[in-house]
Amino acid sequence: MKLYEAQPGYSGEITSIDGDTRFLSRITSIGLTEGCKIEIMQNEKKQPVLLLSRDSLIAVNRKDCERIEVK
Amino acid sequence: MSKTIALLGQPNSGKSTLFNGLTGSHQHVGNWPGKTVEKMEGFFTYNNEEYTIVDLPGTYSLSANSDEEIVTRDYLAEGNADLVCLLSDASQLERSLFMLTDFIGLKVPAVLLLNLMDVAEGMGKRINATAIEAKLGIPVIPFVASDKSDYPKLIQALSKAFEEKKVLNEALFESYYANETDIPYYAVKEIVADCQTQFRSDFWLAIKCIENDQNILNYCKEHLSKEKYAALSALITDVKRGNLHTGNCKFAIIHDLLKSAVNAPATKPTLSKFDRIATSRLWGKPIAIGVMILAFIVAMIFAAPIMAVSGLVPTLLSGPLHNLLTSIGAPSMLDSLISTLLPNIISFAISMCGFVMGVTFVFSIIEEVGYMARMAFVFDSLMAKLGLQGKSICAFLMGFGCTIGGAAGTRIIDNWGQRLLAIILVWAVPCAATWAVMPTLAQIFFGSGAIFVLPGILLFMFIVMAITAKVFGNKLAPKEARAGMIMELPPYHKPKWGHIFRTTFSKGLDIFLRALKVITVVSLIFWLLSYTESGNVENSIIYKIGIAIEPFTRIFGLGWQTFMAFIASAISKEAVLGVLSALYSGSGDVFSSTFGTASTTANLNEILPQAISKAEALAFIFATTFNVPCLVALAATHRECHSLKWTLKIVGYYMVMALLLSFVMYHIGLVVF
Repeated sequence: MKLYEAQPGYSGEITSIDGDTRFLSRITSIGLTEGCKIEIMQNEKKQPVLLLSRDSLIAVNRKDCERIEVK
Repeated sequence: MSKTIALLGQPNSGKSTLFNGLTGSHQHVGNWPGKTVEKMEGFFTYNNEEYTIVDLPGTYSLSANSDEEIVTRDYLAEGNADLVCLLSDASQLERSLFMLTDFIGLKVPAVLLLNLMDVAEGMGKRINATAIEAKLGIPVIPFVASDKSDYPKLIQALSKAFEEKKVLNEALFESYYANETDIPYYAVKEIVADCQTQFRSDFWLAIKCIENDQNILNYCKEHLSKEKYAALSALITDVKRGNLHTGNCKFAIIHDLLKSAVNAPATKPTLSKFDRIATSRLWGKPIAIGVMILAFIVAMIFAAPIMAVSGLVPTLLSGPLHNLLTSIGAPSMLDSLISTLLPNIISFAISMCGFVMGVTFVFSIIEEVGYMARMAFVFDSLMAKLGLQGKSICAFLMGFGCTIGGAAGTRIIDNWGQRLLAIILVWAVPCAATWAVMPTLAQIFFGSGAIFVLPGILLFMFIVMAITAKVFGNKLAPKEARAGMIMELPPYHKPKWGHIFRTTFSKGLDIFLRALKVITVVSLIFWLLSYTESGNVENSIIYKIGIAIEPFTRIFGLGWQTFMAFIASAISKEAVLGVLSALYSGSGDVFSSTFGTASTTANLNEILPQAISKAEALAFIFATTFNVPCLVALAATHRECHSLKWTLKIVGYYMVMALLLSFVMYHIGLVVF
């Protein structure tokens, strides 16, 4: 499913990330890569999704969440 | 020749804390040549040797996504730094070492700082720096940037690193990329070997090419033969999503570096109860606004003693100076210059200093504690409409109190273009003084109808901000550079008071001196224009100009008196009533009423409605509201953007904007009244 569909408490891993070079570079540099484990901390309408990955709390805006597939 | 140390690290790695800790008040702020990116330099001496510290912009990587990143890596690639001090957050080592892995291949001596060791230890993490050092081959130093007692040890380590000049050996990490089957690492490396330089290895160039870094690909195009570049292009087009593959390699490197070097308890961090509320859709914004109101109050309390001193300066100095100068028979022009102008300049500069320090103080606390990132989070979508980060809301809320605070508050924005845009937009937010003066004026002219004027001002604030964001947004926050929020929310820390106070006070004198310069120049110009020996306004230059251009100002609905009061409102909003009073009742000259030494006549509410039509009054209220906020705000803006060109641009823009609004309001007024 898409990252923005994952509900709080969900934990799994990122299966694919898609997008232009710029986006890929930004998302990688904050530690989100294919295969990395994540846990959803908060997901409310009209707000970035809050997730936990590599010991860090990370906010990813909703639009970019559409490009991230989780399992 | 001084030795240069460059600080390199991701946001929240404590880079500016380290910079302030190393250099204290020996700092110089400027711009990187040709780029709208702030350049911070500082100095310290150790063992009679001078060290220059360059605080590179805080970015997440060394790609070419922003001017900040390009400035950073070009600086390193040109070999400007003798030593690079890489910072990482020890409490989130895995993620924050990404910068280190992106740096591998740049052939500059480096040390790795594991900052925030106290936080990591608080979480129960045990980090074996020696083990990491053994694998990396460069010094690895555990550190707490906010702890003063850690510095002697660090400086010693840095000075030792200068002797040893240890450079990261990229050969140690090559296998990670070579083993990644989806990228043609060796093939690319072989081609780009032709354009490697002393400081930028083929390893680094190859990875950037694989990441489809246009900046580097262009560089290769210029420096490779046609055939070789064609071969490179062919290889690169076959690579899909190269960033993801190199990203995997980088995190694999980090994984192996930390293996058996970090011992962390199995407990998983959770969202604290407070964080759950602070980031919620319902409560996030009210809490953030509440925190900012509190911050404003604390900033005012901090500034109060300094403001009190600034208020006393004219009272204490003006009288005695005047008496002294009269007694020695000084010409009245000199008397005015020294006894009225000088104390006021000093007073303005002190009050600005107080306020900026107050704001720096509270913002450092909010930032240090970690709450700033939460504010950025909840206001992200709203601020994105203006082309800004969520954090900028703090500057605007501060701006309702005082524009100086708003301008100083933009310092939390880490992108230079966006920061400048925020400063410009803060000017459109009417400050507390405006909110105090405008109701009085509106009351005088419109009686109970005044209640419509205030919502009107608020409405126009949004309109002006929207227009201004359009006008400057394309250049300062280009559409293609705007991107949705991807950021880390740091864990909450206890504020380190010693560090916060040191940061605040070390800026104090610098602020005062810079403010003094701008305020003196502008005050002097205004004084020359408005000075009259007799106190009769008709002898002043400003009067002659005002009369001469009245046919022109009438287009905007302003007579020469209201136009003059409009000009004075750019010096101080509180001056407006005094200047109008002086001009219409002849109770004092323009200069002393602007600088607040003349009193307002009591029967202002009888004189003004007789002399000024309602349409002109409406035009005047809007013109003064959106005029240059005040002289001190102008000085603060100049201090924040370090650019005379931009300061003048902003001043010109708002004067024109104010007159356009005046024009619109006047014509609306003509129809309505």
